Amino acid sequence: MKRKARLGFAAVVLVGAVAYLMYTGVRETAVYYITVEEFAQRRHSLVGEGVRIAGRVTPGSVQRRMSPRGEEVWFELGDFQDDGHVTPVIRVFYVGVVPDMFRDEGGSDVIVEGQYDGSILRAQTVLTSCPSKYEAIEPGSDSQGTRK
Amino acid sequence: MDSGAVAIVIAWVLGAYALVVSIWGGLKQRQDLVRSGEHAVLAMWAFTTVATADLLRGLVSRDFNLEYVAQYSSSTLPLHYTVAALWGGQAGSLLFWLTILSSMAAVVILQNRHQNRTLMPMVTATLMAIAVFFASLLVFVTPPFQRLAFTPGDGRDLNPLLQNYWMTMHPPSLYLGYVGCSIPFAFAVAALVTGRLDDVWIRTTRRWTLFAWFFLSLGNLFGALWAYRVLGWGGYWAWDPVENAALMPWLTCTAYLHSVMIQEKKNMLRIWNMVLVILTFLLTIFGTFLTRSGVISSVHSFTQSGLGPFFIAFLAVAATLSFALLMWRLPVLKSTNEIDSMLSREAAFLVNNLVFLGMAFAVFWGTLFPVISEAVRGVKITVGPPFFNRVNTPLGLLLLFLMGVGPLLAWRRASLASLRRNFFWPTVAGVTVAVACTVGGIRHGYALLSFSLCAFVVATIVQEFWRGARARQLLLGERWPVAVARLTAKNRRRYGGYVVHLGVVMIFLAITGTSAFRVEEQVTVKPGEAFEVGHYRLLFEKVDAWETAHSAHMAAHLAVFEHNQRVDTLKPEKRFYKKPEQPATEVAIRSHLGSDLYVVFGSYDSASQTATILAYINPLVGFLEWGGLTLVFGTLIAAWPQRSARKVPEWEASAAASSGSHSLS
Repeated sequence: MKRKARLGFAAVVLVGAVAYLMYTGVRETAVYYITVEEFAQRRHSLVGEGVRIAGRVTPGSVQRRMSPRGEEVWFELGDFQDDGHVTPVIRVFYVGVVPDMFRDEGGSDVIVEGQYDGSILRAQTVLTSCPSKYEAIEPGSDSQGTRK
Repeated sequence: MDSGAVAIVIAWVLGAYALVVSIWGGLKQRQDLVRSGEHAVLAMWAFTTVATADLLRGLVSRDFNLEYVAQYSSSTLPLHYTVAALWGGQAGSLLFWLTILSSMAAVVILQNRHQNRTLMPMVTATLMAIAVFFASLLVFVTPPFQRLAFTPGDGRDLNPLLQNYWMTMHPPSLYLGYVGCSIPFAFAVAALVTGRLDDVWIRTTRRWTLFAWFFLSLGNLFGALWAYRVLGWGGYWAWDPVENAALMPWLTCTAYLHSVMIQEKKNMLRIWNMVLVILTFLLTIFGTFLTRSGVISSVHSFTQSGLGPFFIAFLAVAATLSFALLMWRLPVLKSTNEIDSMLSREAAFLVNNLVFLGMAFAVFWGTLFPVISEAVRGVKITVGPPFFNRVNTPLGLLLLFLMGVGPLLAWRRASLASLRRNFFWPTVAGVTVAVACTVGGIRHGYALLSFSLCAFVVATIVQEFWRGARARQLLLGERWPVAVARLTAKNRRRYGGYVVHLGVVMIFLAITGTSAFRVEEQVTVKPGEAFEVGHYRLLFEKVDAWETAHSAHMAAHLAVFEHNQRVDTLKPEKRFYKKPEQPATEVAIRSHLGSDLYVVFGSYDSASQTATILAYINPLVGFLEWGGLTLVFGTLIAAWPQRSARKVPEWEASAAASSGSHSLS
């Protein structure tokens, strides 16, 4: 029985260690993951917070400039409306290389992660969510695109 | 109607028939019904093969009237990627999955024509239940043979990201691994239902488990190599949900491969093994669900669709049924044996199992955290790679340590003398490397520990081979190479396992090198300007542009200097594919023993002629491939059939005994 207890003790220690690592890991790396729509509703409570926002690049809003630090990219992250228009919600600033699928015209769906300072979002990462199908989603068409 | 579409419907009917008849035949003990079900499975295999062949025909003959062909290929797509388009889209990949499953089911049935007759009805039934689920998706939800009302002039082409060498191999390997996990699961269910809970089901599926594990490992590695070469962010693993989906079953499957040895040897952990087999199977389905459903946003979930609810329902049913069966048999499964000592191989394996499961749980938790937090607190919260690294790094290092210790501990109880004998040189090796690294200027704690443990594990493996070969040499006068080869051939499972461990050590080296010592530079340069990364100097010479029918290319020419000597020219590209109008990045890599120089052509402004270049130095990343190769080699050794009828001569037994510890198998 003593051996069993010792083994049980080892298991408890291990489980405890995993739990501790997970707990602190979550506490230190967790960020709010919201849509631009949710962001628009509660932007005041998110000042200074790390956020990860899913939205769409507002067509025509992208400005790029080469700087010694890399390419500086400004764009408006917007909310994709049912009628096909994108309402700008927040201005994003990013330095670095944007993904291949990041586009101005047509608007691409992106996930932006960074800090909101009250007026702009300083992004550390810009990810494009990869569309699985290539039907260009024209404004007004259904999300299934050109399916017959 | 396409012959493929007809074939799928017939396959569905045959699968459903086999399912019903096998259960009925098993209950009533009617061999004729059981045989009839098995024949239906063989027929189903034929029909799924016909369906796959028909879809392939459509792809290769560029039959763009087929929606699937129009969507995932084009007239300019090279032939090998056209074949790969079979698993490039959703309907095709589900059909591919069903074909693999029915092929494996057919092989299992042919293997067991004259054995395991009590288990077989439920094995067939379980496999067919899974097959019918996938066939139903193909018949009712996403039929692959959908014809268009008109014939488009050309297809939309395969996603350029998938047009890569590794990507043609990654999905098939992963599918073989995923589907392979169904076989041990089916036998486990059959054992639970019939009450034949001895280790027959485990022995029967040993090679299948190894097979599934092998392809799961390869699938993960190919995926990592693909990400490294194609995605262009300098790394190979991002803890993306889809990657995690493939990693979780691998973790539980690896745990199972180890704990199963304890059951074979000591008849312990019988419940635990059942749990692991069931979990592994459920995780393969869960992985498909994550990839297909888009429930968690992933950077590369290539196919998102309304399949999610079906998978959830299937998962729920499968989990409920299998755990209910397990609960029902729990009293019979309870083992009478107990662990004798903490210093025994059993104990080491048990800890190894807990660590694997802990890792799987942490990955599961981290992956599902957005869903969990939304359900509990109403806000979606995500955890990033730091979470996964933070949890898995110490656990991984603990595993590395156990990998060295476990195989050298005796079963039951290790004596102090044997500890000293087995661990003296490995400890010396580990400490030496730790000291050498510290002197060499490495201050990264985890990296030091990792390198030191790698040396420790390699030393234990070398020592095992050396002792075994030395014994043969002394007893039989064999020369070294002959002694090592024969030693391995005589104990394939044990020495094959060591070779696999060696491969894993290499993978650990690659992970340590890239996560602790990676150098990253991002610069904007004009032609004629140079910059430094690590000990390299890169000179941006010019931009070169050209065009093909399939894509337009733009390449940055970068001269690479090392110690003021020009050693190479790297040409990372930006490509623009024409069919799905989509840009893509083509990285350029200078692979070198010890480290990779990895450059990405970020962006280019033609007006000012400035280019953004990302350059990385990834130390030891080459070991990822070498480790993978070694792992393949080791698995082949371990799985290679051994003539078991041969009696072991006395000299061989004594040679094995004097080689230190006891056999792994």
